[in-house]
Amino acid sequence: MQPNLLKSLRYRFMKNLGAPLLTVLEQRRATGKRNRGPHPHFGPPLRCNARLRQLLTRHYFLSRYAKGAHPVAWVTSGAPVELLRVLDFYTIYPENHGALCGAKRMGTELCTAAEAHGYSQELCAYARIDLGHHFTGKTPAGKLPRPDLLFASNNICQTVVYWYRALAHYWNIPLVLFDTPFNYEALSDMQIEYMSAQLQEMIPVLERVSGRRFDVVRLQQIIGSAKECSALWGQVLDTMKARPAPMTIFDAFVHLAPIVSLRGLEGCRTHYRTLLDELRERVNRGIGALTVERKRLMWDNIAVWFKVRELAGMFAERGLNFVTATYTNAWAETGTMIDPQRPFESLARAYSQVILNNNLKHRLDLMKRLIREFEVDGLVMHSARSCKPYSIGQYDLKRILADQLQIPSVIIEADIADSRSFSEKQVIAQLELFFEAFEDRTE
Amino acid sequence: MTPTDLPERKAYLLHQKAEHQRNVLGVFPAVYPREILWSLNILPVEIWDPPVPIGRSAAHVPPNICDVARRGLELILQGHCGDLDGFLFPHTCDSIQNVASIVNDYLGTGKPSFFFHLPRESESRAARAFYRLQLESLSSALRKHFHRSLDTGMLVESLQWGQRIDAAIRTLYELRGQDRLDVSNSRFYSVLRAGEYLHPSDHLPCLAQLIETTGSAKPPKTPVVLSGVLPSPPAFLSLLDELDLRVAADDLLNCSRRLQVPDGPAGNPYEALTDRYFRLPVCPTRNSTLAQRVNRLLSLVGSTRAAGVIFYVVPFCDPELFDLPPLVAELKKQGVRTLVVEAGLNRQLSGQVAVRVEAFAEMIGSGAA
Ligand code: SF4
Ligand code: SF4
Repeated sequence: MQPNLLKSLRYRFMKNLGAPLLTVLEQRRATGKRNRGPHPHFGPPLRCNARLRQLLTRHYFLSRYAKGAHPVAWVTSGAPVELLRVLDFYTIYPENHGALCGAKRMGTELCTAAEAHGYSQELCAYARIDLGHHFTGKTPAGKLPRPDLLFASNNICQTVVYWYRALAHYWNIPLVLFDTPFNYEALSDMQIEYMSAQLQEMIPVLERVSGRRFDVVRLQQIIGSAKECSALWGQVLDTMKARPAPMTIFDAFVHLAPIVSLRGLEGCRTHYRTLLDELRERVNRGIGALTVERKRLMWDNIAVWFKVRELAGMFAERGLNFVTATYTNAWAETGTMIDPQRPFESLARAYSQVILNNNLKHRLDLMKRLIREFEVDGLVMHSARSCKPYSIGQYDLKRILADQLQIPSVIIEADIADSRSFSEKQVIAQLELFFEAFEDRTE
Repeated sequence: MTPTDLPERKAYLLHQKAEHQRNVLGVFPAVYPREILWSLNILPVEIWDPPVPIGRSAAHVPPNICDVARRGLELILQGHCGDLDGFLFPHTCDSIQNVASIVNDYLGTGKPSFFFHLPRESESRAARAFYRLQLESLSSALRKHFHRSLDTGMLVESLQWGQRIDAAIRTLYELRGQDRLDVSNSRFYSVLRAGEYLHPSDHLPCLAQLIETTGSAKPPKTPVVLSGVLPSPPAFLSLLDELDLRVAADDLLNCSRRLQVPDGPAGNPYEALTDRYFRLPVCPTRNSTLAQRVNRLLSLVGSTRAAGVIFYVVPFCDPELFDLPPLVAELKKQGVRTLVVEAGLNRQLSGQVAVRVEAFAEMIGSGAA
C-alpha cells in the first residue's frame, strides 16, 4: 500500500491542527466538570485522568484519518506490535475498543447485533462487539478505520484466531498470526526458535501490505522504547505497594489503555512518566486513592467494564482497596525479557510468557508473589463468561490459595462487556458474604 | 476381531497391558502423532465422550465449558483412569488447554502428562520445522518416562500401520460417498471410532471387513454431510438412520478432519509424519481460512450429491461456533440447505433436537421423515 498524497496531507493537518484543537476542547470540558466536592470514600482523583482521556480521544480521532495515510492494522492485545511500528502501521486494538464499548454501556447492543447474524451468545463479548461493529458500524469512538491487515497472536487465547479469521473473511484482507505454543512447562529452545523464525517469516507479508521496507535498526529502537513503556507501567503499578496506595486497580484498568494500544510510542512513554510522577507525589504526601484504606485486595481476571464505577464504590465505602491485579500486571511482567540486541528472540520470549500463555501453576505462583509483595488481605476473582482461558482454573486457584495462605476470597460470576451475564442480585449476594467473612477475620 | 464384535474398551486395554506389555496413554482431543506412540509400544486411548455422569467437575470448571473437555476431566476426577499410565494433551483449544493445566498442575493424579502443540500456520517453514522437532521431543520424553529405547524398525512399521489405516479409511469414505457401502450410520462410525482405542493391528481387520460390506441400501437413503466435532451420542446416528438419512461425508473434528488424509509421499518417518499433519483436511482448530472451509463443504456436498449439511455442534465449542455464521451464509448463497443443531453428549437425545432433525429430513425430502 503506497500512501495517498491527499490523505497523507489530511492526516498531517488533523495531527498538527485538528488533534491539538480537540485537546484544548477536551481540557475545557474537563475543567468545567472538575468542581465536584470531595468524595466521602475516594481520595482526590488523579490529574492524569484528564490527560489519558485526551490521549485516547486523540488516538481514536486520528484513526479516522489514518486510512490512506498509513497502513492500518487491527491487532490483538498480546501481539508483537513493534514489528508493525517499524512499518508505520496505524494500529487499532479491538479488545481495547471492546472495553470502551463495555464501559460506555454499548457492549450489549453490539453483542446483540452479532447474535442477530448467527453468532452465539456464548462467544467472547469482545469478539461479538467487534463483529457487531462490523455489521452495524456503531462505535462510541465515532468511526474506526477499515484495516489493511489483521495481526493476531494466540498468546492470550485461541478465540482471537477464530474471531480474526471471521474478520479476514468478511473484509478479504490478510491475517498474520504469531503462533505461541502454550507453556505447559518451561519455555523450551525449540519453542523460542519456532516463534523467532515466525517473526522473521512474516516480515515480507508485512512489507507487502504496508508498501514499506523493514529496518531492523528501527525495530531495535522501537523495542527499546516498548521495553521502557513496559518498565514504566510496572513502576506505576508498584506505587500501589505503598500504604495507602495512591490509586486503585480500577484506576489502573483505565490507565492500562496506552500500554495495550500505544506501546512503544512517545505518547505512551510520556503518559506513564507523568502518571508515575503524580503517583510518587501522592505517595510522598500520603494521599491515598481511598479516604480510608482499611484492607488491601487483589483482583483476578479482566474488569467488568460496565460496572467498574459501581464495584469501585462498593469496595471503597468499606475501606477495601484493590492494590494489584493479575490482569494489569500482564503488560509489565515480561518487559524485562526484551533485549534490543536480540530483537526476534527476545520478542519471542517476552510475548510467549505472558500470563495467559502460561500454565496454572505459573499463575498460582504469580498470585502468591503479588499477594506477598502488595500485602494483600483478600482476593476477588471475576469468573468472566467471555474468557475461558482466564476463567477455567480459577476454582482450583481459589481453593489452593485459601488452603495455603488462608486468604479470604470470592468468585463473582459476571462478564467483561455483556451486561446480560451480570446478575446484580447474585453478585451483591456473593460479595456480601465475602465482606462478612472478611470482617469476621480481620476485626 | 471384526466390526460385529468390537471389544469393550476397558477390557481391551487391560488385555493390551497384560498380553503385550503395552503402556496405555489417555489422549485428549484431537490430533496427535499416534505412530510415535505405537512405535514405543504405547497404546493411545482417546478421551472424547466418556459416558460418565457429570458431577465433580463443577468444583473445577465453570458451567460454560464444552462437554468434551468437561467429560474428560470428569473421567479423571471420578477415578476411572486408574488403568492409564499417563495423559497426552494436544493443544486443540482454550478449554483443553486449561483442563490440561488443571490436571497437570493441580490434581496430583500421580500420572505423567505429555503435551503436543499443533502449529496454526500451514504455509510456514517454521511451523513444519517446529512440528518435526516436537515429534522427536515427544518421542524422547515418552522413551525416558517409559524406559523404552528408540527402535527405528518399529517406527517404520508404525508408519506403515498408519498409512494402511489411512488408506482403508479413505476407501471407506469413498464408498460411503458413492453409496456403495450398505451399512448404517451407527455401524460406520462405531467401526471408524473404534480406532480411538484399538491398536492398529486390531483396527485394520475391522476396517477391511467393513470395506467388504459393499452394496447400496434399498430404497436409497438421502445423503447429507455432517459437520462439527463428533457423531455422539450414538442416539443421534440412530436417529439419522431412522430418518433414512445417510451421512455420505463428514467434516467432523474427530473423524474426517483427522482421519481422511490424502495420500502423501513416503520418506524419513519424521518427515512423513510432519507431512501428514500438514496434509490434514481443513479445520478451525488449525487456523484454516473460512474460504477453505466453505470450499471443502461445497466439495463434499458436490461429490456426494448431499441434500444438505447438518452442523452438529457441541455447546460452548468456540472453534466451531465462530465459523458457523459465515459458513451457513456462504452455503446458503450456493443453494445448500443447512441445519444447525447444538447438542451435548448426554446419552439421551433431547426431544427438541429430534424434532429439528426430523423437520430438516422432511425438508430435504428424506423418505422416512
Ligand atoms: S477476553 Fe479472553 S477470550 Fe476474549 S479476547 Fe480476551 S483473552 Fe481472548
Ligand atoms: S468440543 Fe470444541 S471446545 Fe470442546 S474440546 Fe473439542 S474443540 Fe475444544
